Amino acid sequence: MKKVIAALDNSAAAATVLATAQKLGSVFGAEIDAVHVGEDGDRIAAAAAAAAGLELRRLEGDVVPALAGAAAKEDAVVLVVGARGLPSGRELGSTALEVITSQPKPVVVVPPDAERPGRLERVLVPLEGTPLTSLAPKTLIQLADDAQIEVVVLHVHDEATLPLFTDQPQHEADAWREEFVARYCPWGIGSVRVDVRVGRREEEILRAAAEAKADLIAIGWAQKLAAGRAPIVHELLERGRTPVLLIPLRLPSQRQSRARRSSWISLQSSPA
Amino acid sequence: MTVAESPPLVPPGRNLPEELARRFEAIVFDWDGTAVPDRKADASQVRDLVEQLSRAGLHLAVVTGTHVGNVDGQLRARPSGPGLLYLCLNRGSEVYRVGLDGAELVFRRQATSEEDAALDAAAAATVAALAARGVRAAVVSQRLNRRKVDLIPEPEWADPPKARIAELLAAVEGRLRQAGLDGLRDAVAIAEGAATAAGLPAAKVTSDAKHVEIGLTDKADSARWVLAELWGLGVAASQVLVAGDEFGPLGGIPGSDSYLLLGDATAFSVGREPTGTPPGVVAFPGGPDAFAGVLEDQLARRRARELPQLVDDERWSVTVRGFDPERERAHAALLTLADGVIGTSGSPVGEHAAARPRVLAAGVYAGAGAESELPLCPVWTRLDGELPEPLWFERRLDLRTGTLRQRLGRNGEVDALLFSSLARPGTPVLRARGLPELLESDRPLSAVESGIEDGVVDGVEWARAQAGDGGVVAAARDRLEGGVLDRFAAYVVDATAAPDPEDAVDLVAGARLAGFDGLLGEHRARWAQRWHTADVVIEGDDELQRLVRFALFHLMSSAADTGEAAVGARGLSGPAYRGHVFWDSDVFVLPFLAATHPPAARAMLEYRLRRLDAARANAARLGRAGARFPWESAASGADVTPSHAFDQAGRDVPIRTGELEEHIVADVAWAASFYVDWTDDSAFAHGPGRELLVETARYWASRIRRDAVGRAHIDRVIGPDEYHEPVDDNAFTNVMARWNLRHAAAVAAGAVAEDERRLWQELADRLVDGFDPATQIYEQFAGFHRLEPLVVADLARRPFAADLLLGHERVARAQVVKQADVLMLHHLVPEEVAAGSLEANLSHYEPRTAHGSSLSPAIHAALFARARRLGAALDALKLSCRLDVDDLTGTTSGGVHLATMGGVWQALVFGFAGVRATPRRLTVDPVLPDAWDALEVRLSFRGFPVRIRIEHDAIAVDADPKVPVSVLGTRHRVFSKGA
Repeated sequence: MKKVIAALDNSAAAATVLATAQKLGSVFGAEIDAVHVGEDGDRIAAAAAAAAGLELRRLEGDVVPALAGAAAKEDAVVLVVGARGLPSGRELGSTALEVITSQPKPVVVVPPDAERPGRLERVLVPLEGTPLTSLAPKTLIQLADDAQIEVVVLHVHDEATLPLFTDQPQHEADAWREEFVARYCPWGIGSVRVDVRVGRREEEILRAAAEAKADLIAIGWAQKLAAGRAPIVHELLERGRTPVLLIPLRLPSQRQSRARRSSWISLQSSPA
Repeated sequence: MTVAESPPLVPPGRNLPEELARRFEAIVFDWDGTAVPDRKADASQVRDLVEQLSRAGLHLAVVTGTHVGNVDGQLRARPSGPGLLYLCLNRGSEVYRVGLDGAELVFRRQATSEEDAALDAAAAATVAALAARGVRAAVVSQRLNRRKVDLIPEPEWADPPKARIAELLAAVEGRLRQAGLDGLRDAVAIAEGAATAAGLPAAKVTSDAKHVEIGLTDKADSARWVLAELWGLGVAASQVLVAGDEFGPLGGIPGSDSYLLLGDATAFSVGREPTGTPPGVVAFPGGPDAFAGVLEDQLARRRARELPQLVDDERWSVTVRGFDPERERAHAALLTLADGVIGTSGSPVGEHAAARPRVLAAGVYAGAGAESELPLCPVWTRLDGELPEPLWFERRLDLRTGTLRQRLGRNGEVDALLFSSLARPGTPVLRARGLPELLESDRPLSAVESGIEDGVVDGVEWARAQAGDGGVVAAARDRLEGGVLDRFAAYVVDATAAPDPEDAVDLVAGARLAGFDGLLGEHRARWAQRWHTADVVIEGDDELQRLVRFALFHLMSSAADTGEAAVGARGLSGPAYRGHVFWDSDVFVLPFLAATHPPAARAMLEYRLRRLDAARANAARLGRAGARFPWESAASGADVTPSHAFDQAGRDVPIRTGELEEHIVADVAWAASFYVDWTDDSAFAHGPGRELLVETARYWASRIRRDAVGRAHIDRVIGPDEYHEPVDDNAFTNVMARWNLRHAAAVAAGAVAEDERRLWQELADRLVDGFDPATQIYEQFAGFHRLEPLVVADLARRPFAADLLLGHERVARAQVVKQADVLMLHHLVPEEVAAGSLEANLSHYEPRTAHGSSLSPAIHAALFARARRLGAALDALKLSCRLDVDDLTGTTSGGVHLATMGGVWQALVFGFAGVRATPRRLTVDPVLPDAWDALEVRLSFRGFPVRIRIEHDAIAVDADPKVPVSVLGTRHRVFSKGA
């Protein structure tokens, strides 16, 4: 059976992490594997697991390799961790940081102050408008259809991506949205709600998540958190109150990228 | 579907040179020595082949020096068509078309009496000059437009067969050399000299070895005529096969068939060619038997249902290679095939998750009010086979013939040709060759929406989509045989009642009877006719040329030319804008059709006329007189503009255009007047056209408010600049209303009460227009100049959607303009604005214009051209041309921007060529960018074709003398020779 790995530390955040894992478990049809690593005691973690009717599984060794080992199992579909270090200064904990940047599988990072409603009802999927990033949440969203989860696709325009023309907004926007969904939500589901905004992406995603009362933000990323990289992920994790599902992207090499472009010839040129 | 075993056909191409082993669309051939051994031979074999090839749709032309009695008497072919047979006779001076009833003269070059006398003199002088050198020669015949001098009038050479050509040549050359002449070459030179001395410096002098002929025409004239005729039938030179037996030089002069070598045609020789077959001509010696073999091969190819060859001319085609899931829906919209009745996306014939194949029908709407939209109809293009991946895939849209070729797989897994017949609108056809597993389909029609009824009548499947009170019914039948699928479909569209499936089934039966080649022939001939009065040629920029034709192609295919034509914002190329009809239709699309194919423009006006009562009711509802046309129109003519929308920034915005964008009323009147100016359709002008002008003028008369000092105003409207709403005294609305009132007053004399006419004139004279004589600038609306003086040209790279970037509130407070508003007056009604005010207003408003409407760049291209700012004009034109091919709006998937395409044509014809139709004449005032070598526009004015060619140092106007054309300026050379 598929498993959602819930990494519980010995803090108050354990209950929030577990609640999020349980919500995901029901979506994925997966059982919860509540695990704990570390020498800092497991009383709170065990209590949280027990409260959920689960047995806490203790892993040996260093935290990051141990969690990596658990998540690497074939039946593990997602790893759920707490954003430790919070709320003081709201900096991402070093453990969470190492885990999310090294995991080949999706990781959900749960802020300690995340709200804990009963079930996962609404997922916010920010899309940049590229095929690569749009495919990242595909699996989750395909499952979401069966689980009757509302998917809100968010696209935030900045000056560079704004459409050049708005002929008749009463028609133009619908046509634009329809094509956006066809291009970037090719997940085989009937419909999604598209939320389009203009502004700074980080701000607008947080605002949209709050307004939509999203239970989860699902976003693809390249797992690079060095200075200046992934500013959106940084801010979502540091400022948000919504669990964030991070889906690693395998970026194509430049060579692959070129090959793809050249195989799709535009109307501008028609080489033999 | 009919499935049969492959027929036992002779494999085509057996023993033929590679260059000949393909399907051609026409064969042009020499007679004596090529098709028959001599003029006495039995021609029954070639007759039989000619008649069969005609039935199979191939066009044929005999080119020979002799007269109709000789050739028709020997060939005696009576072809039934659809392939046509021409006899091009008398060395380029006559053409007959041959049908079941015999040969009918279609062209004759008739010499003047002076020319005839000169020919006689030249022939006599040639005989005399030869006699002076000791060579006995004789004028043997006086043929039409030529004289024939026998160089060897000896009994033994009285009538030499073609087979003895080498002996004959030796005998003639020997005879001439004995007299000290350098063979035939000198004999021809003597004849040329004699012709020049007789006053015929352009005489065509040829020789067949026995004779030297002096004529006004030669076989090259025949070849040119035939290629032009074939072009008019939609057949390009590269699809023509030329056959002869004398291409190589003879005695130092060009072989008689070398005159047939024109254009990109493939030529082959069945002759002995004593001096060798010249380069570029395929040698296939064997005389008439070899020629018959080639005809048999062409027949076998037709029977094997080969597809026509692609015409490889990028100025006339748009190609999409590969399959890009991200851009697929935009590509499919670009490749739409439409015929004015239905439009079919250029989606792949196979299945793919990213593809959205669709068929839309014009003029029927499902739903009501703002929700009314074009229904998705059953689709005729689908094969059940799934596209294998990775795949080699190419789609090529031939703009000249309106055909779409889809080739899947490098090994010809599927090769399909699709078209939607312009000759039989609503009748689409598909032929596909390839792997049977990819061609087989359970059903020829597929439904993309639920709720579509279906059934079978006489083995033909039908499916019907309901829409409002009416609907669309489609029927189709497959025939899969020998690895070739033929699919004939038909759509019947009725907005008022559910169409009867049997009507569509009958149309399918008619299509099957005509056959694929018959349908293809009539379809491409119809396209060629349309291009004849619509093409715009840009020499010096092939890419721009292609994009311009791409725009014209969509404009031509989007409007029906009978009944009424509801032309939505995206035509038949996509469902965006729900098929609603805006001013785009009247102001941007209709001018192109009025000036190139008036029946389609008339059908568009008919759409408005049939909704005149609804417009009257709308005016009455608002407490006004006359007729108020709606900003958005669909089936009934009631306004179907939504009341609010979420824009592309996600903001909920009220939509007030339905309530306030009233210039549509004058736009409709302007369109009617434009149509009359170009067509001189007096029945329309004095009937429904006048009614349109009168009713719209009555609306304005009741809409206008007079102030205390008697000035007239129009309050609370939206102009073309929709960033500002509502505004008072919008210059565009007021001046268009003024034009409407004045024009109605002018045409309604005797038709309405004099008091009413006088009122219109008075109101027109009192309407404020915001013009400041000191600055020569029109204020866009009352108070515009007091808004924040934001010059968007300094703010961001244009075009940009200022409402999205800056927000609605900010642009409303600033002098930021969406699109041409004041300047639209200089474009549409230049006679209604102050003379010489274009430059001042262009300099003022253009930098303040964000061009956030796709309508804006093309109109500015026209304005810049008029203002002689050609660099800016060219930039704006190119942007407009690329709007859809680069999907600059992100919505091309919902259909191409037809109004932008109409704007492209207007920029070229009104802007660069400077063409205007007045009630009296056509005026031309051209400007030509340095980057172009020439601009040529083809038009239809008052029922006559007009060709205007503009070069840097010359202008040529080719039109019937009855067409009054004035070219402004004096530095150009002008000539008119009659089209």
